[in-house]
Amino acid sequence: MSITNIKMKMNKKGGAKIISMYWFVILIIIAGGIFAMVYSFYHHPYDVRELEGEIMINHIADCLSTQGNLTSALFDEEGFSQNFSENFLENCHLNFEVEEVLQKNFDVEEEIWGGEPQYYLQINFYKSENLENSLFEISKGNLNLVADWNIQEEKEYKRTAKGVEDDFFSFNREDMYLIKILTIVKKTEKNVK
Amino acid sequence: MENVVFIILNVLFLTILILFLARQGQGAIVLEQSYAKQIALLIDSAKPGMTIILDMGKAKDLAEKNNLEFKDIVKKTDNVITIRLSEKGGYSYSYFNDVDVSLYPDTSNPEKVNSYVIKINEYN
Repeated sequence: MSITNIKMKMNKKGGAKIISMYWFVILIIIAGGIFAMVYSFYHHPYDVRELEGEIMINHIADCLSTQGNLTSALFDEEGFSQNFSENFLENCHLNFEVEEVLQKNFDVEEEIWGGEPQYYLQINFYKSENLENSLFEISKGNLNLVADWNIQEEKEYKRTAKGVEDDFFSFNREDMYLIKILTIVKKTEKNVK
Repeated sequence: MENVVFIILNVLFLTILILFLARQGQGAIVLEQSYAKQIALLIDSAKPGMTIILDMGKAKDLAEKNNLEFKDIVKKTDNVITIRLSEKGGYSYSYFNDVDVSLYPDTSNPEKVNSYVIKINEYN
């Protein structure tokens, strides 16, 4: 065997070792990437707040209107019923009680178990001839969530409350109304990490 | 010889990676959360008189592995659903629909009890 042949064999062997070392480095980098992606996917809670808001809108719409007609309970002799508005949660079978969650209490700088209201809903009724001025409004829940939700108009923040808006038309005898519904769900402790 | 070691190491590496990926979605914490939220949302969108049958096969397997009975994994306190698939912990999620709900394992096929019945009775 000539000296050139021996040198070539040695270089080939050395080259293969370097390639296999790099191969394992690449594998470790890929595994690290996959691990990081899987970890971040499974260790973040499922955010169902938007779905919850949409379901609540459907629930409210079903409560207010049947087959395109507004429920008669919504009106009294003077027009829109204040009594219906005051007892809206009972009338529409809504329960805003939530489970107690560990919440950050900034006053005492510690986490406490508590259950501040996590929902807000607002319903506005407009006459079809005048869609600018609301004739009647029903609102229930935690009003502070509105400000929390308004912040997101410019940019979406993960830890703020999620809001969903929708509207529909419905009749009361010959009068047609536009009903706009806004629902806001906070529940950040359960839906955001 | 070196090639054999190289191939074995590669296969070993890929096996560990696949096992890791397969196990991730099956953990108690992930399943507890997913079933609790799923049941709460189903109740929210349901109306009195409805009966919903939910396949909870994965939860059953995990609960049995952790020595828990299938009938004990779903609990309802007021309007809060709690799923418990391991000895420790559990996950709770509330629903807003003010209805009376009954939750029990579906025993219509006694040989294969994998599902839960969610029965929406009346408005409270």
